[in-house]
Amino acid sequence: MKIGIPKETVAGETRVALIPSMIAPLTKKGHEVLVESGAGMAASFPDEAYTAAGATIIGTTQSLYDAADIIFKVQPPQADKGEPALIGEGKTFIGYMAPFYNAEMVKTFQQRKITAFSMEFIPRITRAQSMDTLSSMATIAGYKAVLMAANELGKIFPLLMTAAGTITPANVLILGAGVAGLQAIATAKRLGARVSAFDPRPAVREQVESLGATFVEMELPEEDVETKGGYAKAQSDLFLQKEQEAIAARLPKIDAVITTAQIFGKAAPVLITEEMVKKMNPGSVIVDLAAENGGNCQLTEAGKTVVKENVTIIGAVNLPATVPVHASQMYAKNIVNLFNHLYQAEDNALDWEDEITVGACITRDGEITNEMVKDRLSNGGN
Amino acid sequence: MTMEIITRIVYLVAAVFFILGLKNLSSPKTARRGNLFAMLGMLIAVVMTLFDRNIISFEYIIVGLIVGGAIGAVAAKKVQMTSMPQMVALFNGFGGIASTLVAFAELYQAHGDVAVHANLTVSLSLLIGTVTFTGSLIAYAKLQGIMRGAPIVLPLHQILNTLLLIASVVLIVLAIMYPGEYLLWAIIIVGVAAIFGITFVIPIGGADMPVVISLLNSYSGVAAAMTGFVLGNSVLIIAGALVGASGLILTNIMCVAMNRSLANVLFGAVGTDGGATTSGEKETRTVTNYTPVDAAIMMEQAQSVIIVPGYGLAVAQAQHVLQEMAQILMDRGVKVRYAIHPVAGRMPGHMNVLMAEANVSYDLLLEMDAINDDFQDTDVALVIGANDVVNPAARYKKDSPLYGMPILNVDQARTVMIVKRSLGAGFAGEANELFFDDKTMMIFGDAKKVVTDLVKTLKEE
Repeated sequence: MKIGIPKETVAGETRVALIPSMIAPLTKKGHEVLVESGAGMAASFPDEAYTAAGATIIGTTQSLYDAADIIFKVQPPQADKGEPALIGEGKTFIGYMAPFYNAEMVKTFQQRKITAFSMEFIPRITRAQSMDTLSSMATIAGYKAVLMAANELGKIFPLLMTAAGTITPANVLILGAGVAGLQAIATAKRLGARVSAFDPRPAVREQVESLGATFVEMELPEEDVETKGGYAKAQSDLFLQKEQEAIAARLPKIDAVITTAQIFGKAAPVLITEEMVKKMNPGSVIVDLAAENGGNCQLTEAGKTVVKENVTIIGAVNLPATVPVHASQMYAKNIVNLFNHLYQAEDNALDWEDEITVGACITRDGEITNEMVKDRLSNGGN
Repeated sequence: MTMEIITRIVYLVAAVFFILGLKNLSSPKTARRGNLFAMLGMLIAVVMTLFDRNIISFEYIIVGLIVGGAIGAVAAKKVQMTSMPQMVALFNGFGGIASTLVAFAELYQAHGDVAVHANLTVSLSLLIGTVTFTGSLIAYAKLQGIMRGAPIVLPLHQILNTLLLIASVVLIVLAIMYPGEYLLWAIIIVGVAAIFGITFVIPIGGADMPVVISLLNSYSGVAAAMTGFVLGNSVLIIAGALVGASGLILTNIMCVAMNRSLANVLFGAVGTDGGATTSGEKETRTVTNYTPVDAAIMMEQAQSVIIVPGYGLAVAQAQHVLQEMAQILMDRGVKVRYAIHPVAGRMPGHMNVLMAEANVSYDLLLEMDAINDDFQDTDVALVIGANDVVNPAARYKKDSPLYGMPILNVDQARTVMIVKRSLGAGFAGEANELFFDDKTMMIFGDAKKVVTDLVKTLKEE
């Protein structure tokens, strides 16, 4: 098969879907790799490196899409730039798709009978961990978020007892102990900070403590709220309120907060209200990793660093793109693992019984195969 | 009078040597010395007994010593290391029959004209000695392959055993009440005991034989102690009691190690003819439980060790002490490396964070693809708090959530040691057959505590 690697078009995207070192594993299996000229430049992989690794450099975007059977991409094809329509009828696409927010792209894929696999929809099961870009990119985001916080903070992280007095360690609070949160804990810990972490799931306490951080307890809401009608909403409001209380009690002692709470396909929960920001020490820093989905902090502005109530709030967007070399390396490994899994048969036939193949597929033969995406797009219209 | 005092003192010395011997036998490190002490004690006791006034004829004794000694020496020399259990079983049996014969001789010599308490001890000696003898012979036959290893259960087996036991008690009471018919009682007791010894051991499977041998060993001690009472020989009473008690303790330790109760071993009739059954359900499989001391001894003999860390290591915060262990081994010339599975832990790079904290050199950390081919040339694979990443089900079990995930080939190492909190399944919920493998040593406990104990043992030298 001919695998095409187009240049990313989204502003600020520095990653590339395939790096030179991952080309040999593909060509060894008889595949051919075509790379748009300059595709890896922003991630420090020049065209020559791709050529040396056995890829063919293609001069223009159009000819790349024309020549390739299957496209590897990082960002979803941008409908306003006409990207989805570049992919030829019946061809295959693998990359991020964010289908809930890219209805136009999904429609084009349907019309052109494109078989599209979304990196976000790979089932999060043990054997698919090697393909899980949500994990690998969150790892990078968690790491980078701490460095950004350290950079903005007017303090140093570690404890130092010197002739010029004792420097107390910075107190870092991590909200949400998912992959990004855990990596943030580990990074802050390595920089010498005193780290605590909050997560509503009591089960992750052990994971937090395994990295040497303190787990912040939260009082779980009483059960009787659940009995009345429409309890789900009521419960979640109360739940959120309890979460905010637990966090608010901690905030006055904190120098840097990294927030990582995301809900798949929904707006991020507000964990830090404006009132809570007011209670924080002047000069403290919030790095909001959920900025793109509305933010965990009420005052977050996506893509911007703002100072409000004397607190620096970083609305972090696409942090992996700030570490393009390793982010591309991990992404490329993930996508090649997925590709190898999808096309493991001799004749490159897809196995529609396989959990990963079915789970990751969004469109195929002019149909939306993913129920969740189908529901969202037909109900919301958007 | 002085002779008797000397005799007693020398017997006391012998007994002290026995105790020292047992004490030293409790650790494989000192076991050789323990054997030596016990031998010395036995020599002292035998020599003293020869000087004792009860000796009638030295000719018989010398002939006996030469014949018995020669058989023992030749047998011990010729026996294969793997056949040691049946050899021990056989020797136990000889101990038992010796007690029976001595008791019988004593009874015959005295024409039944003995006191009540002596009559009791003679009867017990006959009973226990004979049970030990026939039981040991069955154990020997099963282990040697003369008899089928699988449990043989007769109809109403438990009831039969109970009846035999009751019959033995009744016979002993009768023997005490009617000492005139001493010869008849003795013969019947021996007969009942012989049957009981057989029915007692045949329903127990070959895999459980070591426990039975240990128990029979304890019986032979008790029989010897009874004979000691019969003869009025204090050192025999002491030695017999020591063997009886230590055998019982050992039996218990073995049962705990197999996660079984003694009752389950003796009456369960579930032990198979050695090894695991293929048709067996998970619940019926048993694992072998080892201690950190066992692990340390294994480590000392290894030339190459691969450590496989997992989430359990992180939870226990055992990375520092683990590195201390690795350092000790490396200082002794053992090749130590860490194998890091890409999904070990609960976040990407979890193990790297831990290892960096413990100052493990990056050169010692190898990713899966780089080290997987080395397991087959490795003496010990030490898995600490990892489970799914070494589960062989990932290779072939199609309905498993792990199927298709590449795993570390720890099962190819010569010995696999797994330190784990429990037998539970891993994150993916798949049971791990590796735990039940013959070459796997399971060490249950908190990773930090286990490794700390391991380091402690390694440092003792």
